[in-house]
Amino acid sequence: MPVPIRVLAGLASLGLLAWGLYAIDDVSDARWLSILGVAWLLLLVAAYVRLPNMPQFSRSLIRVALVFATVLAIVSVQLIRIQVIKQDDIVYRTAQSADGTDAIANPRVVLTPLETKRGEIFDRDGEVIAGTVQEGDHYYRTWPDPATAYIAGYFSPFLIASSGLEAEYADVLSGQTGNNPISRLFNNLLHKPQTGSNLRLTIDADLQRSAHALLDGQNGAVVVIDVETGDVVVMASNPTYDPNQLFTTSPAGNPEAQAYWESIINDPDRPLVTRASLGLYTPGSTFKTVTAAIAIERGYAEPDSVYEDDGDIEIDGRVLVENNRPDETRSEWTLREGLMWSLNVVLAQVGLQIGGDEFWEAAEDFGFGQEIPFDLPVSTSRLASSEDFLDSSNAIADTGFGQGQIQVSPLHMALITAGFVNDGVIMVPRLVDAVVSEDGDVIETKPTEEWLQPISPETAEDVEQMMVDTVTSGSVQGAQAPGYTIGGKTGTAETSTDTPHSWFIGFIGEPGQKPRYAVAVVLEQGTSGLAAPVAIGRDILVQTMQE
Amino acid sequence: MPARFRPTFRSIEFGLLIFPALIAIIGLAIIVLVPRAQLDWSWSEIWVGLAFAGAVLVMSLSLGIRGFRGDQTILPITAMISILGLLMIQRLHPDLAAISDAYSALAQRHLMYLAAGLVIMWLIVMLLGPIGLIRWLQRYRYLIILSAIALQISTFFIGTEVYGAKLWIEIGPVQIQPSEIVKLALVAFLASYLDENRDLLASGWKVGPITLPPIPYLIPMGAMWAACLLTLIILNDLGSALLFFGIFLTMLYIATGGLIYVAVGLGSFVAAAYGAWLTLDRIGIRVQNWLNPWKDPLDAGFQPVHSDYALASGGVFGVGLGYGSPTYIPEVQTDYIFSAIGEELGLLGTLAVICLYLFFVVRGFTIALRARDGYVQLFAAGLSSIIAVQTIIIVGGVTRIIPLTGITLPLISYGGSALLTNFALSGMLLYVSGLPRRV
Repeated sequence: MPVPIRVLAGLASLGLLAWGLYAIDDVSDARWLSILGVAWLLLLVAAYVRLPNMPQFSRSLIRVALVFATVLAIVSVQLIRIQVIKQDDIVYRTAQSADGTDAIANPRVVLTPLETKRGEIFDRDGEVIAGTVQEGDHYYRTWPDPATAYIAGYFSPFLIASSGLEAEYADVLSGQTGNNPISRLFNNLLHKPQTGSNLRLTIDADLQRSAHALLDGQNGAVVVIDVETGDVVVMASNPTYDPNQLFTTSPAGNPEAQAYWESIINDPDRPLVTRASLGLYTPGSTFKTVTAAIAIERGYAEPDSVYEDDGDIEIDGRVLVENNRPDETRSEWTLREGLMWSLNVVLAQVGLQIGGDEFWEAAEDFGFGQEIPFDLPVSTSRLASSEDFLDSSNAIADTGFGQGQIQVSPLHMALITAGFVNDGVIMVPRLVDAVVSEDGDVIETKPTEEWLQPISPETAEDVEQMMVDTVTSGSVQGAQAPGYTIGGKTGTAETSTDTPHSWFIGFIGEPGQKPRYAVAVVLEQGTSGLAAPVAIGRDILVQTMQE
Repeated sequence: MPARFRPTFRSIEFGLLIFPALIAIIGLAIIVLVPRAQLDWSWSEIWVGLAFAGAVLVMSLSLGIRGFRGDQTILPITAMISILGLLMIQRLHPDLAAISDAYSALAQRHLMYLAAGLVIMWLIVMLLGPIGLIRWLQRYRYLIILSAIALQISTFFIGTEVYGAKLWIEIGPVQIQPSEIVKLALVAFLASYLDENRDLLASGWKVGPITLPPIPYLIPMGAMWAACLLTLIILNDLGSALLFFGIFLTMLYIATGGLIYVAVGLGSFVAAAYGAWLTLDRIGIRVQNWLNPWKDPLDAGFQPVHSDYALASGGVFGVGLGYGSPTYIPEVQTDYIFSAIGEELGLLGTLAVICLYLFFVVRGFTIALRARDGYVQLFAAGLSSIIAVQTIIIVGGVTRIIPLTGITLPLISYGGSALLTNFALSGMLLYVSGLPRRV
């Protein structure tokens, strides 16, 4: 056989094999076997060397040796395919039995996650949020309390991977990082399963349960933050889901878990979206605190600056009607009164004073358009879908009193509120307090860090006082609680449907002292008006103080 | 005789044997230590490895003292392949013994047969060869092949059935697998017969312009072969049937250089296989297990599916000797031992095993090329072809390039008869390499 033909045949064989290795999935797909067959014939051509001047026996023997060698080369290609190229596909492959009653999966894959003693997740007092239960040689994951389970997230290695802290801290919980490096090396050398490290959260499970009791099944969120440290003490979200029902001990044969998964991903209420950090809502009048703070910080107003509000205002041909005046005969109101009584016309004028460009810039100082540094996935709040929106006076006016295009998460609103009573400093929210070893030794404590300082301590003090006034003698007197100083602000977020979302933001402290906790409550389509979020916010704040 | 009795030191062989000897000792140590997970052991626990290392080294020295001047690589390759088998069986034994009492003596038996195999190999080179084993095989070829076929047929009447196939005859405590003996007899017979009639077979009959194969000379040979084949098909030992068929075609081609035989043989085989697939249920299951075992993964496809899992779990480097779970594959110690190697030693391990077999075959063919006598040439080529064809059948089956037909991986799988005959095969190859060469 001429050399060029042999070279071509060899190259064609290699090309065909390379293409087949990547194009075809199944180990013994008939097409792949055909490719192997054709590639083998081409290899035979490539190996058909000239053997002149030798006896027939020698020539035949060499030919046979080459045939054997080419067959073994094809076998090697198949081995490379099974053991390397399609390795993951095969290792994780599952299948149903012929009659559909049973299923099969690679037992090695099934056992590895169950052989690791996964770290547990505790609340701040050591109550188990996500636990590990040993049965024989295997460890199973449980989430004992539905009020805290979803903060941990689901851990479903065989069905749908994991979410929440179970995903964000997977390496720590499974012992890949975070524990003693020497014991980790030792375990690796001896092929021993790793022992995961535990997480201690800032969450208080008792308060978390209270928050769920207060929410009473309504869709919404409650976030309570320690203003000085940024510790997230409560992060309640409704609706919830049960990660226990997603945990399976094998990749195959889990019709119930599969059905549950289908049901929660198709649920129109979207229980997998934890409202507190991932939900975005129009803040409504709660945002007036931010507008006021920006105006004071930037010198456009003082708490006692006077604005005209006689029941309506015309902006660029649109008439904005005021419904919130406590006294319809008065037409002059201070900024403080505008906040206390939630006067849209006043805050619209404040917004126009600030102007679109500066509003945008100042909102960025408050964290709008920035991702909140947090242990769980967050949705990023925004002042408007783009800066251009604020070119129109009406848009600026709407934004000033909390409508327009603003979208904000409950976590972010709680952080902003905490900043008003923490000398204008917004802390990085802490959820994971510490990584703790199996023996209870603290391996790593998450630091307390400042995130933003959008306003000066003086401005912050003004806003704080105005919010206290709102509760003491303004429109949110329902938030009062004996023995505590409480400040707050409500909000109603217009939605595309008829029923709006209702908000409460607020803070609590001992009288005469710096407030200690801030709260944000949102109720989706709150049917009972603003009284409900106010009551929830007040009660959870008081209980937090009492804990 | 005294003139040829000049002691020598087989330095290449001895040097190469260091590798299997070290692997034996280190491998045994790993097998002992892994389940224990701590460094606590004694020499007595790895005596198997030490004994193997000692045995092969002493064997090399004794061959040198005997003045044997044959090939210096066959013994190291044989030792290397068989130590892999010994280690795998030693490693599988505790896991298998935990599954069933039937496996409680697995490792001991394998060790016993391996020791007996080494002795047989040694005896053939030291004693049986020099006193004329090869000539006897040539002279009594009809007696040998007929007794082999008789033994094979008797399996049908007195054989023990395991998994729907009658492969063994039980004689007291010993089980014999006749097909293993038949494969050697077949090669001995074919070598002798083909050598005698080589020219006739190669030239053929000229009828006008057409050349016909010399049919009368093909008949006795074809009959012997057909008898073996038929028995095996009746006994449902398709692996051995395929092996005999492969050996037959290979030797016919080597002896005559006639591609026509190969073409006719393969053609008739494909037709027969297709017919069997259409008519026999059990063949249909084999084909489904070959093309898509995932259709019925918990029943018929259970073994191949778990074999896939094991091979894929190994990856490039393997999970490490003793760290895998190959015993999820039923009967891993015989048909699927290659998958166990794939899981624990990875792609590097499986490719190394394939290279070892290829090297064995190439050395065997080299011995055949150098042999002076036409019979010895064919005999050596046939013995090497057994290893090649058998490896291709079982490894091709395990990796699902072809349908799986149960057959042992030479010198590695568990099985007494297989080990003994394969060591005998190595011994005969080694012996004929020491015969006077062609100049």
